[in-house]
Amino acid sequence: MGIRKHTPGVRWAVALGAGIAIVAAAGCSSGSSTTSSTPSGSSSSSPPSSSSTVSTSQCGTKPGVAATGTPIALGGIVTNQPGTSFTDIANMANAYFACVNANGGINGHPIKYYIETEQTNPAQIAADAKQLVQTDHVVGIVGNTSIIECSIDSSYWQKLGYYIIDSGIAPECYSTPNSAAVNMGPRYSSDGAVQYALAQHVSKIVFDQSNVPGTGYIAAGPNALAAAAHVPIVQLTENVPISDADSVAIKEVDDAGPNGAVVLNFTPPEALVILQAAQKLGLEDKVKLWGCSTPCNTDFLATSLGPKWNSKLFVNAELTPPDVTTTTTMKLYEAILKQYGSAVSGGIGSFSQMGFTEAEIAVHALETVTGAYTVASVNAAFKAVSNYNTGMLCQAWTYGSYPMHIPNNEDYTVTPDNGKMVTAQGCTQISAVDPQIKAYRSAAGTAPMVQ
Amino acid sequence: MPSWQDFEPFIVSGLALGGVYALSGVGMVVLYQATGVVYLAFGAVGAMGALIAWSLINDAHAPGWVGWLVCVAFGAVVTLGYGMVFGPALAKRDPLVKAVATLGLTLVLFGVMDLLWTTSGGESRAITLPTDNGGFTIGQVQVDWTQVIGLAAGVAITVVTGVFLRYAKLGTAMRAMANDREITATLGVPVRRVEAAAWLGCGILAGVAGVLLADLVALDATTLTFLVISSLAATLIARLRSITVTFAAAIVIGLVHDLLTPIQALTNYRDMTPFVLAAIALLVLSRGGGRVLSRSREEA
Repeated sequence: MGIRKHTPGVRWAVALGAGIAIVAAAGCSSGSSTTSSTPSGSSSSSPPSSSSTVSTSQCGTKPGVAATGTPIALGGIVTNQPGTSFTDIANMANAYFACVNANGGINGHPIKYYIETEQTNPAQIAADAKQLVQTDHVVGIVGNTSIIECSIDSSYWQKLGYYIIDSGIAPECYSTPNSAAVNMGPRYSSDGAVQYALAQHVSKIVFDQSNVPGTGYIAAGPNALAAAAHVPIVQLTENVPISDADSVAIKEVDDAGPNGAVVLNFTPPEALVILQAAQKLGLEDKVKLWGCSTPCNTDFLATSLGPKWNSKLFVNAELTPPDVTTTTTMKLYEAILKQYGSAVSGGIGSFSQMGFTEAEIAVHALETVTGAYTVASVNAAFKAVSNYNTGMLCQAWTYGSYPMHIPNNEDYTVTPDNGKMVTAQGCTQISAVDPQIKAYRSAAGTAPMVQ
Repeated sequence: MPSWQDFEPFIVSGLALGGVYALSGVGMVVLYQATGVVYLAFGAVGAMGALIAWSLINDAHAPGWVGWLVCVAFGAVVTLGYGMVFGPALAKRDPLVKAVATLGLTLVLFGVMDLLWTTSGGESRAITLPTDNGGFTIGQVQVDWTQVIGLAAGVAITVVTGVFLRYAKLGTAMRAMANDREITATLGVPVRRVEAAAWLGCGILAGVAGVLLADLVALDATTLTFLVISSLAATLIARLRSITVTFAAAIVIGLVHDLLTPIQALTNYRDMTPFVLAAIALLVLSRGGGRVLSRSREEA
């Protein structure tokens, strides 16, 4: 049967197909690459303006002087798919690099930052890594934030001698020698939320998370903490997106009981759906407290929830709360975000803080390199970062030569307060009852507290 | 096995979930009855309307009712526009082609929503209605008026549409057109106008469902867009024919789904409920003769 040409139906189908392709390409940004502004780009064409107290010129060694040397190529891979996008992290790192480039660069060299996006497709993620290495010739990997990238590319990076500075999600981001994250990731952040609940003497924990790869690994941490405290824990998983939030909320509250705690590990939209359902059903006060891992730490969530959740919901916060911190680093972060962060859609928040911190550490390491910027010299510099005060974490950050890396293992707890997240508990160590934390501290010790 | 008392709250939540499925399912069957098109973009249209409403309310500080009206208007305009542009062109094509074409619209809207209402910074959005604040308690569960309205809307739409299709002149024309567009046209029925009315009605339903579901389920593009898949199970059980059966099937699906929640061994499989029930229903019904699409092909 031949293909008919130029029938109205075919024309419509072709037109529709083209429309879908255009929107899909734009919307999903499949495998797309973007780069930071080089000295000839817009970021260097005008000198940075001052913020009220801290100027963006402080991000480089030569204020107002655009870097013109040979670019230093860095790359990052981030998940960007409907419902799950971490592009803000890479975009914030890009903003930091643009700021550095506009203010002297790294010894006169600008940073050229390549961002690859992926849609949780292992083949695509492996291809992204090869693209960065073989085509873009990156000498360092900074800002990776992906649901499965660490699992897919870990051995590839090890083979080539790359030491990644990332925001971790998958177990391999924390359990391998060549990945060090600035965040705690879902397991240790959930540990923090459960630990806070246990400290409030709850009688039972219900830990609920999205049904995605790695739930068993994440659940192991809260399980260990609850077992050590002799508090029963119920583990639940939910398929996302959640369309039956009412029944989810009822089950959680039924299982937890009036003196129990419900701890959630979901993205903000999913957590919001559950919490709102609980509120509508009048269940928010039927348990002692509600907890949540770091993703819930957004003012969007606090605003959407309203005052009923003030001091009722306690959210683990892996990074320094920006609203109440007035350090130079925090002001620089806000100034860079304002001047260079137009692509950072979420504005101030955990994701952009992570991107800032990763770029900050990378720049700090690059400034120690003497000689050519090669894969060997740059990654040796990354690995050599030790006890560095990022200004964004509770404790100093160290890479080091360890078989595993959990350099961020102290955290805050925040709670909604009339549309804002405010600090409920200051820096607190994640308990070494979690065997992974214990193993890391045995290898690397406990980093000094800096906040 | 949980006790009866444990199941009680899930009956309430199951009815609410069934009402949610019914809202989408009934709208889809109405359009199918009138045009022969399975409108898979029903959820995406409502989702985008609701997101526009959210932006108007939160960014432009418009009153809530303005946002809700705009959501309904958006559903009406987009659906009518699609129907007017693609309806005549695809009128003679297989029902499957017509359905897939609406999937194209779904993906276009989904892509636009992902671009304009991104979640890359951890954004989470919500629409609340004044009816969320009042309600009553059944057992230990609070029922708000929005849930009641959602269920009542499903009943009302089912009854009104059923009466309209059966007794109104325009409704009869719609049913005739769904059976055979050309013969209906030769009988002097203004086909384009009748089709436009059907698409417009379906679009208004999509907009109304968008506002209600954004409050009852979630204001999230992915959730609302693909909620229609679960609703589709209810329409399949009704073989895309009966609005009443669609409504009843949606309620049963919602109830069974939620009643499985407290059963530890089955709770992780409860999301399969719509499809398992649809498969069972189709197997049983197929004994009675014909498959769903065979009739559709004859109609086309």
